[in-house]
Amino acid sequence: MDFLGFAVAQCLNALSQAAVLFFISCGLTLIFGIMRIVNFAHGVIFMLGAYVGYTAIAVTGSFILSLVVAPIVVGIVGMAFERVFLRRLYERRDGGSYLMVTFGLAVVMSEAIRLIWGAQPLGAGIPAFLRGIVIVLDQPFPLYRVFLIALGIAAAIAVWQFLERTRAGLLIRAVSQNSEMVHALGVDVDMVRTAVFGIGCAMAALGGALAAPLVTAFLGMGTTVVIDAFVVVIIGGMGSFLGSIIGSILIAFVQVVGSYYFQELALAFMYLLMLVILVVRPGGLLGSEE
Amino acid sequence: MNWKLGFTAAAALCALLPFVLPQYTMTIAVEALIFGLFAMSLDLMVGYCRLYSFGHAAAYGLGAYSCGMLLTHLDLPLPIGIVLAVAITAVIAIPIAWVCTRSTGVSFSMLTLAFAQLGYATLYRFKEFTGGSDGIDGIPRPAGPFGTTVLQGKLGYYYLVVFCLFGSYLLCRAIVRSPFGAVLAGIRENEAKTRALGYNTRAYKMTTVVLAYAFGGLAGALYAPFAGFASPELFFWLASGRVLIMVIVGGAGTLIGPIFGGAGFLFVEHQLSQLTDLWPLIFGTIFIGFVMFAPQGIWGLIVRLFEKPPAAQGALAGEEASRAAS
Repeated sequence: MDFLGFAVAQCLNALSQAAVLFFISCGLTLIFGIMRIVNFAHGVIFMLGAYVGYTAIAVTGSFILSLVVAPIVVGIVGMAFERVFLRRLYERRDGGSYLMVTFGLAVVMSEAIRLIWGAQPLGAGIPAFLRGIVIVLDQPFPLYRVFLIALGIAAAIAVWQFLERTRAGLLIRAVSQNSEMVHALGVDVDMVRTAVFGIGCAMAALGGALAAPLVTAFLGMGTTVVIDAFVVVIIGGMGSFLGSIIGSILIAFVQVVGSYYFQELALAFMYLLMLVILVVRPGGLLGSEE
Repeated sequence: MNWKLGFTAAAALCALLPFVLPQYTMTIAVEALIFGLFAMSLDLMVGYCRLYSFGHAAAYGLGAYSCGMLLTHLDLPLPIGIVLAVAITAVIAIPIAWVCTRSTGVSFSMLTLAFAQLGYATLYRFKEFTGGSDGIDGIPRPAGPFGTTVLQGKLGYYYLVVFCLFGSYLLCRAIVRSPFGAVLAGIRENEAKTRALGYNTRAYKMTTVVLAYAFGGLAGALYAPFAGFASPELFFWLASGRVLIMVIVGGAGTLIGPIFGGAGFLFVEHQLSQLTDLWPLIFGTIFIGFVMFAPQGIWGLIVRLFEKPPAAQGALAGEEASRAAS
C-alpha cells in the first residue's frame, strides 16, 4: 500500500509537469502545423508569460487576473512579431530562415526581459487559496499541482473542442492541410496564421504564468524548457495536436521516473527516446512523414 | 588568380600580427581564429547543402572533450592529441550523419539539436570521465614530438592555430570547388533533380556532415588545450545557435565570410561586452536584420558589390553542377 501511495504521488507529479509541458508544446505544434515554423522563441515567450504574470499579480494582487492578462499581452506580442517579421519570410519557403529569425527573437527578447525586470529571480509565491495540501492514499500532495493538472486537462479539452467544433478551428485545420486551396476559397489565410501564432504564444504565456509560482520567474527558465517542448512535439509528431498531449505525458513521466531512479540518466534518456522514435517513425508517433 | 593574392596577404597579415598586437590581445586573437575555423566548418553544411544544423556545438564539444581527455590522461604530444581528437570526432559523426540525413529541412535541424543535447546530457552521466558539470580543467599542453616546446607558449600556439585555419580553408575551398562540391551545389539548388541524375545525394550529404564535424572538431581540439578547460556548455544549444548566427551574418556559402563572421563576432563581443551589457541585444537585432534583409551575409554583399551580378552567379553554380553531372 505504501508503494502504491508513492507511485500515485509520482504519477500526479508527472501529470502536473505534463500540464506545463502541454501548454508550451501545444502552441508549438499548432504553429508548426499551420506555418511550418519551428518557433525557437517559444521558450522565451513562456518566460515572458511568467514575468508578465508576476507584474500582473504585483499590480492587481489577483492571481486569477494574472492568468488572463499574461496570455493576452504575450499573445499580442506574438501576433506583432508574426506580422512584422515572419510574414515577410513566407515566400522564401525556407525553413532555415524561420529557425534563425525566431532564434534571434529569443536572444533579443530574453535580453529585453533582463533589462525590464532585472536579473534577480522574481517569485510571487503560490496564491493563498491554492497553498493547501491534498491527501492522496495517505500521501500529502500539493494542491497547486492538482490545480495545474485540472487546468491542463481543461485546456486540452478546450483546444480540442475549439479545433473540432468551431468555424475558426475548422479554418485552422483546413489551412494546415492545404493553405492555397483555403486561400482560393476566399479565406484570409494570413489572418488565420497571425491568429494561430498569437494563440500559440498565449498558451505558452499561460503556462509560464502558471509555472512561475512553482519555480519563480527567472532568466533562462525558457532555455531548457523549449528543448523539452521540442522533444515533446517531435515525439508526438510535428503539427499533431493529440501528439503534443501524448508527448507531454510521455516526457513528463520519463523525467519524473528517470530523475527518481536513474538520476543523471534522465536527461539522456529523453533524447534517446526521441532518437529511437525518429529512427523508427521519422514523422513522430502521430505525425505524417514529409 | 585574385584569390591567391588575397590569401597571401591574409596569411602575411596573420603572421605579422603578433609583432603589432599587445600581448594580452593575443589570447582574443587565438580564440577569434579558432571561432573562425568553427564557423567555417558549419558553413560546409549550411552554405553548400542548405543543411541548417542546430547542433554544431556537438562537433566543437566532441573535439574539445576528446582532445582534453587524451592530453590529460594519456600525456600525448599536443599535435598527436589534436589529430586523434579530430579522428574521434569524425568517427562519432558517422552514425550521427547517418541518422540526421534520413530527414531533411526542419527535421534535420531538430535531429542535430537532439544529438548535441544528448552529448550535453551524456557528460553529466559519465562524471568519472567528463567531470560532470565542472567539465575538465587543467588540460595540459604537453611538449611536442622530439621535445619541442614551441607550442607551449602563446606565440607558438597562435601560429599553430593560424596554420590550422589556413590549411583547413585551403582544404575546404578545394572540396567545394571539386566535382564533389559541384554535386553539393546541385543538392542545394535542387535535390530531387540531382538525385534524378543518378547521384546518391544522401551519401554526399553524409560525407559533408562528417567533414563539417571533423573541421568543427579541429576547432574544438584547438580550443581545449589553449583555454585549459572544457565544459558541458560547449555542447549546449545556445552555442549551436551562436555559431549559426556567425555563419549567416558572415555570409553562408562563401567560407571566407563565416571565418570573418566567427572571428569578428568574438572580437567585437569581447570589446563591446566591456563597454556595455547590451551586446546580446545588439547582436540579436543585427542577426534578425541580416536574416530578414540580407540572407547572403556580409561577405555575400561584398561579393555582390564587386563581382558579377547574382543572376550570373546562380547560373554559374547551376552550370557547374550540370557539368559535374554530365
